[in-house]
Amino acid sequence: MKTLVRPPVIARALVLIALLAVPLVVEDQYIRHTLVVAMLYAIVAANWDVTLGFAGIFNFGHLAFFALGAYSAGMLTKKFGFPTWTGIPFAALVATIASLIVCLPVLRLKGIYVVLVTYAFSQLCYQVILNQTEYTGGTFGLVLVPPLEVFGYSFRSAGNIPYYYLALALLVVSTVYLHFVIRSNLGRSIIALRDNEAYAISRGVALARQRFLTFGASAIFTGAAGGLYAQYLRTASPDMFGFAFVTFTLAMLLLGGIGTMWGPIIGAFVFTFISEAMIDLKEWRWLIIGTLIVVVLRFFPAGLLSLVEQIGERLGRRLQPAAPVPAPERPGSG
Amino acid sequence: MTVDVPAIIVSGVVLASLYAMMATGLALVWNTLGIFNFAHGIFMTLGAYIAWTISDEAGLGWGLAGGFAIAVATMIGGGLATYGLLVKPFQNRKDIVLVVVMTTLAGSFFLENTGRLIWGPRLKQLQRVVEGTVQPLGVSISAHELVIIISTPLILLALYAFLRWTRTGSAIRAIAQNQDSALLIGINVPRLYALSFALSAGLAGLAGALLGGIRFIVPNMGSEPLLKAFIVVIFGGLGSLGGTIVGAYVIGLIESTSTYFVGIYWTNAVMFAIFIFILIFRPTGLFGRN
Repeated sequence: MKTLVRPPVIARALVLIALLAVPLVVEDQYIRHTLVVAMLYAIVAANWDVTLGFAGIFNFGHLAFFALGAYSAGMLTKKFGFPTWTGIPFAALVATIASLIVCLPVLRLKGIYVVLVTYAFSQLCYQVILNQTEYTGGTFGLVLVPPLEVFGYSFRSAGNIPYYYLALALLVVSTVYLHFVIRSNLGRSIIALRDNEAYAISRGVALARQRFLTFGASAIFTGAAGGLYAQYLRTASPDMFGFAFVTFTLAMLLLGGIGTMWGPIIGAFVFTFISEAMIDLKEWRWLIIGTLIVVVLRFFPAGLLSLVEQIGERLGRRLQPAAPVPAPERPGSG
Repeated sequence: MTVDVPAIIVSGVVLASLYAMMATGLALVWNTLGIFNFAHGIFMTLGAYIAWTISDEAGLGWGLAGGFAIAVATMIGGGLATYGLLVKPFQNRKDIVLVVVMTTLAGSFFLENTGRLIWGPRLKQLQRVVEGTVQPLGVSISAHELVIIISTPLILLALYAFLRWTRTGSAIRAIAQNQDSALLIGINVPRLYALSFALSAGLAGLAGALLGGIRFIVPNMGSEPLLKAFIVVIFGGLGSLGGTIVGAYVIGLIESTSTYFVGIYWTNAVMFAIFIFILIFRPTGLFGRN
């Protein structure tokens, strides 16, 4: 079974170069801002895919790791006066610890129970954050988070360009990291567990340990992205625990293709821009997103990206009728 | 500090009644179809809005009875539509549980924003079924709440009787027990799936119309009762309707007691902590079978 949709190396290099060049070429702050947001979403979606797609664990608490990252970075630097560079590492740490805690009940559960326990965990965090108004700002959210500053150099200078490069660096590191995670023993064993649990266990895969590691592995960069998000937008809001955020990220994952390496990243970029383009439609935008999710699940369970790939393969076959390569059917994973 | 026990019990039982109506619908769908409907909360919201539009002077002004009837009827239709669009096409998928969580989540997102488009952000409130307060057993309680407290067990009893003694009801229970055998003996499984969904949505719409008399109607009013219904269903045990109803009353009373002593925010945190503990130590619920 093919699990890694991989755009050709040249395409990846070109995209990276293009992303590196954007701040030098494009003066438009809005496009830069949208790209920063898209890159952060890409990190969250791609890391969520580790548990949801590759491991097939119905984890609906992933956005809580992102939100906890944002809050922990914000609180550490704003309320406790730590230097701002500690925010992102601390966010990654808190998110990872949280993921290991929520993983404990997940180890014993299956199916819908996993959805419920992970979702309940995210709601529990939400309620506690609403409670601690003194530290978290309660329902108004944590505002005026100190912006990132390293050696007296503010990341807000030069029209947020430093933030742009930091987000890009985080995305690149996260992607390389995921690449290694998925290809490591851990990655292969969680895919085996997803595809045939009984067989994988009989071949000596330790279900509980691998799940534990999977959760931790998927939370590190999610938390870091949350920390950067808080320092970039200077706010952390309780909405980050809500259904809207989950649905939004889920749409990116589904659009790009669950259980693929590059799908969620491409999905995040495409989706962020589609959604920005639809901003004038107000509520209609959410109706379109809701419909899109159902349509993709119904007709393109492997993601819209797979459609592009299939068309490409068909074209390729038409051009080279001699090569009898049957298109491998990729079953929808979950 | 004197503890106002009757007040705690009354508010607990009112909450419990609404949770019971929500959770039985959720459990009915889970037992029959084996899926969790994340759009269940929005049925409640829409029920309240539709009852408001039909009955309120600012809407059509057809009276409260008409409002309730049309709200429930529309939600039954909504349940059928939701089943047809968001559940049925995915039923032969291996990963149906996860897929339906996603489709119903998307559906609920869709409907919530449709509600925002139609009714706007302004708070609305439904008329009460009965105005005024009454004092049974020396406790002062609004007549509307009393109606909720009394009518819920009757409605659930009717549901029980339907499932227990009618042919259709037995057929639904047969599907819940063994879907393949039910198919083999000629039960029209898809039709009864649709019926369970419709019943469940109708109950949620009724719960919404009743809640609209106590709380303000807002586009996300159903999300909190939905979460509580999840807790109730797990607490009572998936697969046991009786357990769900007992669970609703236990959870309602725990909630009102906890709200009285530690306030609303901590209460919700406590509820989710209880929920997670039950899932860890007894995932089949207190009354569920292994």
